[in-house]
Amino acid sequence: MGNINGMDYEVLLTALDRAENGPIVDEKVWDAEIIGKNFQETLKKYDIKLEKDDPYVTADDDLADRLWEAGMELAAKTGVYCIDTKRHMQWTRDELEGILAVMPDQVTVGEGDDTATIIHRRPEEDSHVVIYGGPFGIPITEELFIPFHEAYAREPLIEIFNMGTLLSTRGRMIRAGSPWESIAAWQEKELAFEILDRVGRPGMAMGCVEIATTEVGELAGTTYGGYRPTDCHKINFISEQKTAYHHLIEAAHYAHIDAFSESYFNPMYGGYVGGGAGVALACVSGSIVMRAAYQGTLNNIGPTHVHLSASTHPEVLRALQLGLQALSRNGNFLTSPFIRPTSGPGTKEIFYETGALAAAATVAGCSYIDAAQSARGTKTGHASPLEVLFVAKLTHALEGMSRVDAAPLVAWMVDRYKDSQVDPLLGKPFQELHDLETLDPKPEWQTLFDEVCQEVETEFGLKL
Amino acid sequence: MSNLENVQKDFLEILLAGDSKKAVTLAKEVLEGGTAPTEFFEKCISPSLEEIGKRFETLDIFLPEMVTAADVVQTVNDKVITPAVEASESEGITSAGKVLMATVQGDLHDIGKNMVVLMLKVNGFEVVDLGTNVSPSEIVERAESESVNIIGMSSLLTTCLPYMKDVFDYLDGKDTRNEYAVIMGGAATTPEFSEEMGANGYGHSAAEAVALCQKIMA
Repeated sequence: MGNINGMDYEVLLTALDRAENGPIVDEKVWDAEIIGKNFQETLKKYDIKLEKDDPYVTADDDLADRLWEAGMELAAKTGVYCIDTKRHMQWTRDELEGILAVMPDQVTVGEGDDTATIIHRRPEEDSHVVIYGGPFGIPITEELFIPFHEAYAREPLIEIFNMGTLLSTRGRMIRAGSPWESIAAWQEKELAFEILDRVGRPGMAMGCVEIATTEVGELAGTTYGGYRPTDCHKINFISEQKTAYHHLIEAAHYAHIDAFSESYFNPMYGGYVGGGAGVALACVSGSIVMRAAYQGTLNNIGPTHVHLSASTHPEVLRALQLGLQALSRNGNFLTSPFIRPTSGPGTKEIFYETGALAAAATVAGCSYIDAAQSARGTKTGHASPLEVLFVAKLTHALEGMSRVDAAPLVAWMVDRYKDSQVDPLLGKPFQELHDLETLDPKPEWQTLFDEVCQEVETEFGLKL
Repeated sequence: MSNLENVQKDFLEILLAGDSKKAVTLAKEVLEGGTAPTEFFEKCISPSLEEIGKRFETLDIFLPEMVTAADVVQTVNDKVITPAVEASESEGITSAGKVLMATVQGDLHDIGKNMVVLMLKVNGFEVVDLGTNVSPSEIVERAESESVNIIGMSSLLTTCLPYMKDVFDYLDGKDTRNEYAVIMGGAATTPEFSEEMGANGYGHSAAEAVALCQKIMA
């Protein structure tokens, strides 16, 4: 058993055995039947519904608990698909319950004076939500890498830090699965620790390895002298509930180096799990089987709209907050939403988008918040610490608020961005919004931030 | 409203319900009533699929319904339309074009690519789907062996873009670049990258990909 991460080696070996020996299934059958049909049947059986006129933040404990039961049943029925072996990995209900029963209800990541303690929370609980902030994988040039990230890392409200992605390494294109991925991973690590030193937070936990597209990058970035076991390593499913040797290699690696990990997955609204109710169910079922497959320390869920690629679409938001409620009420998951707005920095809409999801997730019982992959992470350098700062301030102001009281705030914010999502406002890149010497926001950008804070304070009586 | 228009409405409902048996029965009845197979395809199947594609764009239906509808149509084609066309020795249904689709090497994501595949199929294209993590050499070799009109590549990850570049380099190396239109999509791709590579187009969504293919084949 890992001393730091608490991973049970036998549970890991069982998962790997099932990837090798489970029944062979065609991937199309997995998608359409094992996922598609089972999801729809389970939703019907447990009467799980989410309608477009339901509040964005639901306060129906019976629904949340039925969703949990549905998710447990579905997790045992579906399991995980390994795309490399084409095998169906399954666990019985008893096995899943056993794995969930030993989940820790809190964890401290990072080192020295820069640790962050993430705790299990229940809906409406008046306890601290950790801010795991940064430009989450947004491409950024080598030239701007340090100032861009230093602007984030110096923010005290960011407690765990996640970086963007190098656009090149040492002037060369980064090619997945090649030696260049290894070079890029090591360069990222070097830059990451330089940034932490610059801001005087050497022990802050870092999300890593951001450039890792394959296990090459992860292994290269976490070898001797690399990222630390106390950083937040990453491991994920491919939608829906699929794994690959790449991820299972990572799971084994984290067990061997006794590292924390953040496991994440992105159910698709409009995809094989269906609409809002299906996404909510996927949040639960996916979290349970992900725990069985990877034993990740943290559990991040970033459902995405199949056309818009955003987690802030109103239907997606509604589904995610319900899924978070089901998880937080019924298991020790340390959960977070992944905030992926359509808007970019330099707009007011980005504050409304990121704020709405952060608010809904906080009162739903999330333990921490991943923010933010601005402009869906598609535009180089289109990110700024101000949207993370807004999330942090709003989140902390809402700790202890009831779901019923939070619902109007979330609705107010959704009204202010939903019509912009189809043709999103991409905003501006970091270097146009921040002074590259001081790293401070330029006056126009700061003004937008202040205005939205003022709006929220005036409208809802909050202090941000 | 003509009889075929009424039939088309029924056919659409059958597709949405995913009832292959009913779809085959209906198709057989209509053909036995004297309608030519190509006319049934053009006036019933094609508009129904187009409607289904539109409903998926607006998410009035989701991916499973679109997959099911496409499967039902495939069954009707295999069991009714194609045999009828062969028996009558008439001209078959003209394909809108043949497209090879792949998520490039290093990338395991497939849902976006799968949506494009489905939307192409419901819009009358033949599609050769190579799946995910496909090497540039395989893309080029299969494009050649399958005699496709269009090569479509997808990637969610910037670190996989070099593999897209390799496809263009390989085509140039074989001097076959002009034999195919090459399009790209996925979150990692951008109009700028597409232009830099000399691609024939870039699609931001499945609907855009279809429109692009239709424009290329026009």
